[in-house]
Amino acid sequence: MAAVATADSGVSWPNDKDDYELLGVIGAGATAVVQAAHCKPRNEKVAIKRINLEKCNTTVEELLKEIRAMSQCKHENVVCYYTSFVVKDELWVVMKLCGGGSMLDIIKMRMRAGYGKTGVLDEACIATILKEVLKGLEYFHASGQIHRDIKAGNILISDDGAVFVADFGVSAWLATGKDLTRDAVRHTFVGTPCWMAPEVMEQVTGYDFKADIWSFGITAIELATGTAPYHKFPPMKVLMLTLQNEPPTLDTNAEDKDQYKGYSKIFRKMISDCLKKDPEKRPTAKQLLKHEFFKKAKDKAYLQKTLLAEGPPVKGQKVKRVPGSSGRLHKTEDGGWEWSDEEMDKESEAGRLAMAEGRSPRVRASPDQILEVPIPSTSVDDGKVEMIPASEEATGKQASNAVPPSSAAAAASETPVSEPEPSVSTAATPAPATDLKPRNLVLRLRNEKRDLNDIRFDFNPGVDTSDSVSRELVEAGLVDGRDMVVVAANLQKMVDKTDLTNITFALNSGCGPNEAPDDKALIGFAQLTINES
Amino acid sequence: MPLFSSKSKTPHEAVRYLNDMIPSLKNSKEKEHKKISEEVTKTLHILKTQLYGSQEQEGSDLGAQISAEIVTSDMLHVLIENLAYIDFEGRKDVVAIVNNVLRRQIGVRTPAAEAISRSDLIFLLINGYENQEIALNCGMMLRECARHLVLVTQILNNARFYKFFEYVEVSTFDIASDAFSTFKELLTRHKVDVATFLEQQYDPFFTHYQSLLNSENYVTRRQALKLLGELLLDRFNFTVMNRYISQPENLKLMMNLLREKSKNIQFEAFHVFKIFVANPNKPKPIMDILLRNRERLVDFLTKFHTERSEDEQFNDEKSYLIKQIKELKPVEENVSYQIKEENMS
Repeated sequence: MAAVATADSGVSWPNDKDDYELLGVIGAGATAVVQAAHCKPRNEKVAIKRINLEKCNTTVEELLKEIRAMSQCKHENVVCYYTSFVVKDELWVVMKLCGGGSMLDIIKMRMRAGYGKTGVLDEACIATILKEVLKGLEYFHASGQIHRDIKAGNILISDDGAVFVADFGVSAWLATGKDLTRDAVRHTFVGTPCWMAPEVMEQVTGYDFKADIWSFGITAIELATGTAPYHKFPPMKVLMLTLQNEPPTLDTNAEDKDQYKGYSKIFRKMISDCLKKDPEKRPTAKQLLKHEFFKKAKDKAYLQKTLLAEGPPVKGQKVKRVPGSSGRLHKTEDGGWEWSDEEMDKESEAGRLAMAEGRSPRVRASPDQILEVPIPSTSVDDGKVEMIPASEEATGKQASNAVPPSSAAAAASETPVSEPEPSVSTAATPAPATDLKPRNLVLRLRNEKRDLNDIRFDFNPGVDTSDSVSRELVEAGLVDGRDMVVVAANLQKMVDKTDLTNITFALNSGCGPNEAPDDKALIGFAQLTINES
Repeated sequence: MPLFSSKSKTPHEAVRYLNDMIPSLKNSKEKEHKKISEEVTKTLHILKTQLYGSQEQEGSDLGAQISAEIVTSDMLHVLIENLAYIDFEGRKDVVAIVNNVLRRQIGVRTPAAEAISRSDLIFLLINGYENQEIALNCGMMLRECARHLVLVTQILNNARFYKFFEYVEVSTFDIASDAFSTFKELLTRHKVDVATFLEQQYDPFFTHYQSLLNSENYVTRRQALKLLGELLLDRFNFTVMNRYISQPENLKLMMNLLREKSKNIQFEAFHVFKIFVANPNKPKPIMDILLRNRERLVDFLTKFHTERSEDEQFNDEKSYLIKQIKELKPVEENVSYQIKEENMS
């Protein structure tokens, strides 16, 4: 086993929180905090990203994708991942510590120090940083990955001036699109879209690694002017401006026309090459590395000297509460860090917004949507449940090809839709005793092939229960198992409220991979109707 | 730099070179090792490019040829057995090569999967979870293998399947959750066969599964609970579901999980708990528990996750459960339940 190439010969990375002494906070996002830490067994400083899994809307699968992507990268310009483990309801991701902080921190510090007027960083600096970022990107792209979140905040500098691309956070989120299982919150927007390529915003066609090149171009503007173009606008406005306007330039942010005139033509050319609206026309990372602009690049000692001379931009603040206990760190108005108690910690505004964003099926349904004409599918011929394809004309009035209710009722009454020996006493009282005549019901929903079907069945109050009928529909393969209880629940509503003749309700099984929920077209929804005969 | 350019290797030469050289990685000394290792990685990359590149050209069967050669020369064995000795970048290409070969079909046949099923390679891959260096690479190949029924059957029919219950609980998060996704894939891809497996192996499987639901690890608990809900509510597993929801200890566990501190775990537990309540033929022991706790359950559910006002399905289901529990009536003692109970104990 001696030949097994291990990255480091020392002690392997421990997975026990007690082996790490937590130091200052380096940064914080909505549901995660990055803290510096000292790994005691290895006597080494690290950065630990602590993700609160209870508050975080990302599924474990998505987090795994992020960490898997990170662990499959070994490159001098990509932040090195060491290990990850679970501490109570937090995930701790242990990474290389970049003592210099992020380029965003550095830019902000320099702007506070008054460098901002004609440009925050000089071209040699920008070229040096961006060249390293490009090398990291080239590695990503060569191994088939897209970073998807290139921006100054994700470019880290180590104490010796080396440059690293960090944070794979968004990668999986955008790639997988909406999670249509029952997780209530979907990721529609991640962060602000200032760095997002037009084709990513449109989400019509798939996008590829060229999206990173756009973000790279935006980052170049950010490093020079201190902010991304359109940073003042709300997200929707940014989308609009990016899609409608000509690609941004160094001067998009300028308050003064000549504010950034000190930057060279060749730098501007590099930016405009990256910010071509047509992704095909953007260069690859490999091609871009050969761009003349990068001849201005110097070495890491230069970066150390120019960027870090004044000390790290973010001094670690001591955490006020014992780390590892639950609670949430958040930034106070004066810029300090504070823990909030679980009781106080209401769901964040962002979370609630995302929730609303993901669950807008009704808003999105256009009122004039008509049911598609389905491909007729086989009917279940077991004498219990009858299934016929719903047709367009069935939407408004009785379908002409539907089996007359009377005969369906007759068929059903012979073999009721229930267990052979229904134990009536075990379930809820089905309906008022005064109304015991069988109800003829139609459940309209989509089958596995996404065709719309009408399932007709009789419900005999006093004999059938919502549970038993719903179960039978699942057993017959007519209803998805995940919808067993929700169908029973709505059936019960129908039975309880005699004045109710029609309910549309949302399904747990959701909709197909390329569908948007729509209660009119019954995508992700089902409709239960009483057939008055 | 090697004297001859690896670019000049034909696919045939590349396969032969790799078959010859990879096994020697294990025993070679430092300097020599480095040289071979570099050349192996380079050659793997070329082979991968050839394998993938040829897919795009219509009518070209170069990829098929390389793939056939990989399978017949037993290269899959060489690659998987020596995976730990191949360097970091090389391993990624091994995964790409193996997964590509696994995807290829000749008519209805899948030669690579068949070859693997005739060996113990699948278990070498499972053992890979014990080596941190190659765990994720093995996981990626295992999930590709899980597309093939023949390989899933091979795993499920072997006691080593139960190793997954250990792997999903290792302390390194990425390895544990990678093992969990493989585990999930094995249990959800070939539904009919998995249903048979679960019926036949009900007791050992759910005994093991219980330990995941009781795990100390928050992520394990949450993931296991979610998968349990998915498995039980899949109509192929109807028999298994009926058995599961007739066992009072399962109901008790879910009721405890409903009261966990974590909202997410509570929510997942709800989706299993609801199946017990919506069972039209509740056995007496289940009924007894629900009746005994009726007041408290109604009260608890009324206040349960009231902030989810936008989740229609959840609210439909919740009000339904509350109503059902309110209206529960004791089961009249009847002979059939007594028989069932005896069978269960």
